[in-house]
Amino acid sequence: MNDKPLLEGRTVSKYFGGLAAVQQVEFAVYPGEIIGLVGPNGSGKTTLFDCLSCLQKIDSGQIVFKGQDVTHMRPYQVARMGLARTFQVIRLYRKMTVLENMLISHQWRDRSIFQMLQPSTADTERRAYERLDFLQIAHLADEQAGHLSGGQRRLLEIGMALMPDPDILLLDEATSGVNPTLIETIKDRIRALHAQGKTFLLIEHNINFIVDLCSRVYVLNHGEKLAEGSPQEIMENEAVIDAYFGS
Amino acid sequence: MSTNRDRNETWRKSGETLRATALGSWRGLIFWLLLVGLLALYPYSGVSSLTLFIGSQIFVLVTLASNWNLIGGMTGYVDFGHAVFFGIGAYVMGIAVTRSPLLISPEWSFWQALPLSGVAAAMFALLIGLPTLRLKGPYFSIAMLGTFVATREVVRVLRPLTGGGVGLNLPPVLNRLGDYYLMLGIMGLVVTMMWWIRRSEFGQSLIAIREDEIGAEMRGINTTLHKIIAFMIAAFFSGLVGGFWAWQNTFIDPDVVFIEARTVEMVMMSMLGGLGTVWGPPLGAVVIYLLQDLVWRNLFGAHLLALGVLLVLLVIFLPEGILGSFGKRSNIARHFTASIAQLLGRLGRGERT
Repeated sequence: MNDKPLLEGRTVSKYFGGLAAVQQVEFAVYPGEIIGLVGPNGSGKTTLFDCLSCLQKIDSGQIVFKGQDVTHMRPYQVARMGLARTFQVIRLYRKMTVLENMLISHQWRDRSIFQMLQPSTADTERRAYERLDFLQIAHLADEQAGHLSGGQRRLLEIGMALMPDPDILLLDEATSGVNPTLIETIKDRIRALHAQGKTFLLIEHNINFIVDLCSRVYVLNHGEKLAEGSPQEIMENEAVIDAYFGS
Repeated sequence: MSTNRDRNETWRKSGETLRATALGSWRGLIFWLLLVGLLALYPYSGVSSLTLFIGSQIFVLVTLASNWNLIGGMTGYVDFGHAVFFGIGAYVMGIAVTRSPLLISPEWSFWQALPLSGVAAAMFALLIGLPTLRLKGPYFSIAMLGTFVATREVVRVLRPLTGGGVGLNLPPVLNRLGDYYLMLGIMGLVVTMMWWIRRSEFGQSLIAIREDEIGAEMRGINTTLHKIIAFMIAAFFSGLVGGFWAWQNTFIDPDVVFIEARTVEMVMMSMLGGLGTVWGPPLGAVVIYLLQDLVWRNLFGAHLLALGVLLVLLVIFLPEGILGSFGKRSNIARHFTASIAQLLGRLGRGERT
């Protein structure tokens, strides 16, 4: 493991009016890790995700990605630096086909105006098919994205996040609404990608998923970091059990 | 995991569909260029100057509808004040050819002023787009409507420059054939450009912005930049058309240039033809022009009512426009044919309906 974090949140706080959605959270993901982020509903997981991916401007603190302060950057800029994410409420281009969704999600860094005025290249297409194949949805390539089932949409969104060849993937509830067989597939794919050197940050309610995959877990409650440690430590932590099941 | 053979099969098939789509798209362009070529030959068949005038007016509508579609249809920013760019183009033309722009005599010629009409409109789009394109949905639409109304009032007040409510008289130069070819050229260029944009990554990114702007931004698309560029392109050509229109009309005042109906027309034409498609807006423009002509002739006095009713019917029955519905082998069409067949069957059996 490298000593320098790939993605780091330093005393991150985010307020919605008087509500502290995320409060003074210290957060670090090192290259090659699979990190889990868990917590009860409304504990600030997705808000923290939004802050880390620069979708929400933070009120105090600092976000550092690849050693660079990205706190005031726009989402497309961090995306071009190598951060990709999926959303709890799936965001697809519904009226485009699955293939078109994939093609337009390629790496935009170093794309010249001249290239942008051309149709997608054969190389982008090949990459799109490789990823669709990898996620076992290549047969849906010509289907409209809006017509896919919930699980297929999750897979497509993961495929789109993989298109730019990111260094870190933030998956927000990748398994919700997905049938158990497909969850195994997603788990399998995450392991395979991890073996290729990708770093993951997962928000999950599915504890088995976290235990199977993650090396470290952060627990949020009421916007604050409640605990941090290996999945085993977290499962035995009194405070965590209290937060989840009530005392 | 699919086997290698399966994979090759998927590959081959998808390659074929992609090639087929690409071929279909080229076919559309070739058809369009042939049509423009035929229209270029049309004046040689000995038509009247009135026909040429009507022709150039239809080309104006096609161009405006295509421009509106770029921002309203492809990017999904429904612009209720797009006629402001037309108006600015018209006024830049009017001021440049009747007064001494930049206080340098003499007045500019038409050919000097025409590009300026477009550039001025594009610059205005940049200025106004930076704040308004941050707004979403109806807020953007209303902000643009406000911009449109405010600009009209500013033009009315800036009397020394714009002539205020009295308007400006441009030098009358009658050249119907020249107008026809110029507008045919602009229209040919604009629609071809829309075709090009639609199949490019830039065009796909606009559709992505329309479908999910936050998703597009999070996947590396500089949404602000792409929206502004699309807005400026649309404004440039609407300004150009406005400049042309002022020259051809030889008179402009705030009430003939800045009319809400012009924007409404652009919206209707794009919607009727098919929002976000390349060939929809031109088709919609021609259909609306013919319909307008028809109701104007037969229902004079109630023509606006008739158009209003048409707009309502359009939204209810053809929400995706002519091309949008036919492209998908519309359920409506199938439903319609099925109902007719059923009806005929019943009649054939002698049943009462």
